[in-house]
Amino acid sequence: MAHPSQLGFQDAASPVMEELLHFHDHALMIVFLISTFVLYIIVAMVTTNLTNKFILDSQEIEIIWTLLPAVILILIALPSLRILYLMDEINNPHLTIKAMGHQWYWSYEYTDYEDLGFDSYMIFTQDLTPGQFRLLEVDHRMVVPMESPIRALISAEDVLHSWAVPSLGVKMDAVPGRLNQTAFIASRPGIFYGQCSEICGANHSFMPIVVEAVPLVHFENWSSLMLEDA
Amino acid sequence: MSLIRCLIFLCLLQLIPLFIFIGGGAAMSLLYLARLGLRNPDVCWDRKNNPEPWNKLGPNDQYKFFTVNMDYSKLKKDRPDF
Repeated sequence: MAHPSQLGFQDAASPVMEELLHFHDHALMIVFLISTFVLYIIVAMVTTNLTNKFILDSQEIEIIWTLLPAVILILIALPSLRILYLMDEINNPHLTIKAMGHQWYWSYEYTDYEDLGFDSYMIFTQDLTPGQFRLLEVDHRMVVPMESPIRALISAEDVLHSWAVPSLGVKMDAVPGRLNQTAFIASRPGIFYGQCSEICGANHSFMPIVVEAVPLVHFENWSSLMLEDA
Repeated sequence: MSLIRCLIFLCLLQLIPLFIFIGGGAAMSLLYLARLGLRNPDVCWDRKNNPEPWNKLGPNDQYKFFTVNMDYSKLKKDRPDF
């Protein structure tokens, strides 16, 4: 989850998010290098007493400062396109989960084998126990088996919502009447938080998403328990 | 007259790299647009004979331009027909 005065991304919990982090580091390094270089040139130009009034043209530097930006842009574009196509791949999911957005909660349906469905409401601030996170905790988390490709089908029952979990690198709009598909792999066990990312009314900030990744054995126990309770 | 011709020719000679890069870029963009128009299953040209091509995707079709990790030809069909 995010922590106070955080500047960068949350730690990656899925391979796609790791790739996104590495690409962001790469592009940001290029941006820092260019900005530092330009800032140095500006300072050097402003703080010198030397002048030169007789330069007319110069083929060599023109060639360099045309080719070099083109090369830098290609170096940014190729990894970017690679990640773009990587994020869209469908990778033989082991499990399909439907996440339906309502005003103002999410409901999850696991209908591959049995009919398991439940609602996920935010826990109010006055009901939190010590150690829980304000505006982020829910009563029923979406439990998934770790290290398995999961397909998430996102839709909405009333207005637009968006299902987002930043540490998994996932965001998909929930559109009423439309089924959007996204996939992710939770590479490590843990609890991953996200919040609704499309304005949906008064309690748009109060319908969080919590994904809990556990080993398969625990997932099977949890789903049996949930089926009994239902 | 021939001096002017020489100057124009020299000018064009120095502009050849520009033509290569701009022409190449324009050609690649147009080719990709053509690929999208003709091969993308979301595009419908013939409303009478092929009204909804997105319903005709096979289990191992690759309709994206580029795959990084996934070999779509190895996928099997695990859904019922409808």
